[in-house]
Amino acid sequence: MSNKEKPMLELVDVSKSFGDVEVLKNISASVPKGELLTFVGPSGCGKTTLLRIIGGFTAISSGQVILDGEDIGALPPNMRDTKMVFQSYALFPHMNVRKNIGFGLKLQKMPKAKIDDRVDELLALVHMDGLGERTIERISGGQQQRVALARSLALEPKVLLLDEPLSNLDANLRVVMREEIRSIQERIGITTIFVTHDQYEAMSISDRILVLNDGIIQQIGTPTDIYETPKNKFIAEFVGYVNFLEGKIESFDQDSELYSVSTEHGNVSLNRTNNKDLAVADEIYLVIRPETVMIFSSDSEDLPNMLTGEIQDSMYAGNLVKYTIRCGDREILIDQYNPKDSIKFKRGDKIKFTVPKSVHALPKKG
Amino acid sequence: MAEAAIGNTPWSMWYKIRIFINTHLVNIFAGGLFVLLAIFLVFPLVMVFLKSFWGDDGFTTTFYQEFFTYNYYYWSFLNTMILGLSTMFILVVVGFCFAYMTTRGPMWLRTPLKICALMPLCAPPYIFSISLITLFGRNGMINNFFGLDFNIYSWTGVIAAQALAFLPLSFMMIENVLNSQNPSLEESASDMGASEMQIIRSITIPLASPGILKAALLVFVMTIAEFGNPAILGGRIPFLAPDTYLMITGEGDFNMASVLSVVLMVPCLIIFVLHNYILKGKGYTTIVGKPTAVDPKEITPVIKTFLLAVITPVVIMVVLCFAVIFIGAFVKIVGVDNTFVWDHMLNMQSNEAIYNSVKLSLMAGLFGAIVGTLLAYVIMRGKFKGRHVMEMMALSGFALPGTVIGVGYIMAFNKPPFLLAGTIWILILNCAFRFLAVGVEAGISKLHQISIEIEEASADLGADFITVFIKVILPIMFSAFVAGFIYTFMTTMMSLSSVIFLVTPGFDLAAVYIYLTAQLGELGLASAATVKMIFIVLVCLASLKLLAKKTGLKSEKK
Ligand SMILES: Nc1ncnc2c1ncn2[C@@H]1O[C@H](COP(=O)(O)OP(=O)(O)OP(=O)(O)O)[C@@H](O)[C@H]1O
Ligand SMILES: [Mg+2]
Repeated sequence: MSNKEKPMLELVDVSKSFGDVEVLKNISASVPKGELLTFVGPSGCGKTTLLRIIGGFTAISSGQVILDGEDIGALPPNMRDTKMVFQSYALFPHMNVRKNIGFGLKLQKMPKAKIDDRVDELLALVHMDGLGERTIERISGGQQQRVALARSLALEPKVLLLDEPLSNLDANLRVVMREEIRSIQERIGITTIFVTHDQYEAMSISDRILVLNDGIIQQIGTPTDIYETPKNKFIAEFVGYVNFLEGKIESFDQDSELYSVSTEHGNVSLNRTNNKDLAVADEIYLVIRPETVMIFSSDSEDLPNMLTGEIQDSMYAGNLVKYTIRCGDREILIDQYNPKDSIKFKRGDKIKFTVPKSVHALPKKG
Repeated sequence: MAEAAIGNTPWSMWYKIRIFINTHLVNIFAGGLFVLLAIFLVFPLVMVFLKSFWGDDGFTTTFYQEFFTYNYYYWSFLNTMILGLSTMFILVVVGFCFAYMTTRGPMWLRTPLKICALMPLCAPPYIFSISLITLFGRNGMINNFFGLDFNIYSWTGVIAAQALAFLPLSFMMIENVLNSQNPSLEESASDMGASEMQIIRSITIPLASPGILKAALLVFVMTIAEFGNPAILGGRIPFLAPDTYLMITGEGDFNMASVLSVVLMVPCLIIFVLHNYILKGKGYTTIVGKPTAVDPKEITPVIKTFLLAVITPVVIMVVLCFAVIFIGAFVKIVGVDNTFVWDHMLNMQSNEAIYNSVKLSLMAGLFGAIVGTLLAYVIMRGKFKGRHVMEMMALSGFALPGTVIGVGYIMAFNKPPFLLAGTIWILILNCAFRFLAVGVEAGISKLHQISIEIEEASADLGADFITVFIKVILPIMFSAFVAGFIYTFMTTMMSLSSVIFLVTPGFDLAAVYIYLTAQLGELGLASAATVKMIFIVLVCLASLKLLAKKTGLKSEKK
């Protein structure tokens, strides 16, 4: 799918300041053709600003934006081959659906008949056949979203930019639309940048995710990378819930490729595959996702990597039970799936739980 | 409530009256206000209408026939329409250029341009006649300086004065729509490949068109109703408003004056209805969801050049016009004999006129504010039919040409049962009722902000209607009351077209004094009186602004 030699879009040392406030600091990234890259990060971290820089709506302070080999940093939006779907959709209220979609084509002086054909094609693409004559007020929020998408795709841009396109929709529709956007994007193979602050949305739609905070890229990688091997505590906490367990690497066994780690609550061993940069005597955090932990009653037989604790609280949620475990002076959250077929624990029960060997660890410093 | 529950005690007369008052007081007030509106707004108009059909021998259409036979009369009508239309076109273009610059242009230019476009608000419209005569009159500064022979007593003069006078009206309405457009729409069009010119043509103007249309209609109404500028600069060109005045003062022909008034009133009323009931709420909602912060972008050089070509001469004229008034007030004759004198400022007659105007404006303001506040309350909280008619009546004074109401007042109140002619009361009532609109609208918007539940809660706690009114409603509506007061005060100060029919010799008002001195070519005296008036108006505007800031009341935009 991707073309490693020549990225479709490249950001080189992009910086942006508003007055004295430096919002983006030396952002560099490259996006291969056909990829869907998502920008995530907390509110105000500069996602919109970065997207608007690519679209040409915000002037760059320094750095380069390279589209398909050409530096477009100085071009106004109407001369760039990038098209944006605005968060507010920005549909023209005085034109009907058809006119909105055909707006850019008409500006290019395309003959009327060809515009009509292309608009029909696009209406079909976004499943809006037959609704072309409707005015903007007379279609639903989800449909407005589709029109905005079709309008941006009409001009066959090299890069499609979407700024929180789903945030005006209600929860169910949001899921439907994100799947639809993804399927259209894959079908026509368009390079896409998608901004969201919803981590689940980012995980489920992206080829790669770019995590932004404090004006710098925290990490860029596939959803699996980001979730399973986050580079720092901020990323780990930003995508999903996480338990941190402090520990220290005591030794490394060459044959089994296992680290032995001591924690306040007992010793665990750790695979090297997920943790290549660690060395003996490092102080670390174990990054333990609630769903990776297995829970057992206190009288069950001992297994490797087993620690003990006491149930402090439990919350039944149908498909899973969320347990809060007291382990020394620390609380650990554990999700037990499919509770129907397993033991349900009550408050005060003594239990044991296992930490997987594949668990990811972060160095405490640096 | 508690007392009523006792039930078996025979109800005393007093108790019954209290219940009646409690449940019907709003309607009692409404009835009273209805009568007042009928007498002081509708009745004079009816008189005008009747008089246009009622000769010495009863009903006749001869006056209308006369109107259509003598070309002097129908030219007066046609000229007025031409004046209205040309000023309207000019101001739509100029207003749009100013508004585009103040909403899309460079930051540093926005505030100065805005101030300039709004400056004419703080002076009466006819100030521009005085300045234009000072600049371009027979002995005008610019004519003399460049050796020109330009005649300001002409179409050009009248249109220029009108355009300068009503620039703020057009600017404010167009700026308002341009400001409230979702910036993403223009960005999105640009993203689709549109140039700035294409964006203006296909996005900005179509979206602003409801606001532009409203601005155009308002400018049209205000221009055709304006008395001062065409009267002073019109020379021999007939226009309806000044002709109505001449018809009465010159020829004493009330029938023909009424015909002219009806002819002037009809387009105004049509537009008023159009404006309030057809265009109301029309417009595009362009902001959905979270709008993003937008950094201002450069305007394309070609467009910028065009905008500046339109804006620059207007800015120069506005500034020059105000400058010559201020200078004119303190020198012997501007441009001819520039020695500093106090004579104009200290002129006794002028000061007396200002004093009279302030006195009149205070009374009209007070009266208008009381009536306006009560009207707002009754319209919002009353439960009777015809509330909308009442609202329309209250707001219509604003759209009716002053000359028409002036003519109506002389005819309606010169004999019993309403013998008011020659007293100050006819002036007070005239001004109070014509300028009700702002007080009423401010009151209504205030009442919109508070839930009726506050009143119901107080009633539930045992307060009767009068107590609720005094303790709860009045404090809440006080800011609307003050806004109505200041606005009526200010407009009464400047208003000329109606009061000129009603003043008696010996009781000069500032506006009339300025008009008469300007007519006589006493520009120094006219300028000095105008400077004092501007000062008073500025104080009023500042208080309105302060009031708006303190209470969150938006009223200064009217
Ligand atoms: N035009 C502007 N002028 C000044 N500061 C701005 C401007 N636009 C954005 N900022 C600032 O830049 C920072 C980044 O804003 P941006 O809109 O890119 O954040 P975001 O990540 O999109 O946030 P959100 O998730 O809330 O949409 C914010 O602190 C914002 O206040
Ligand atoms: Mg954003």
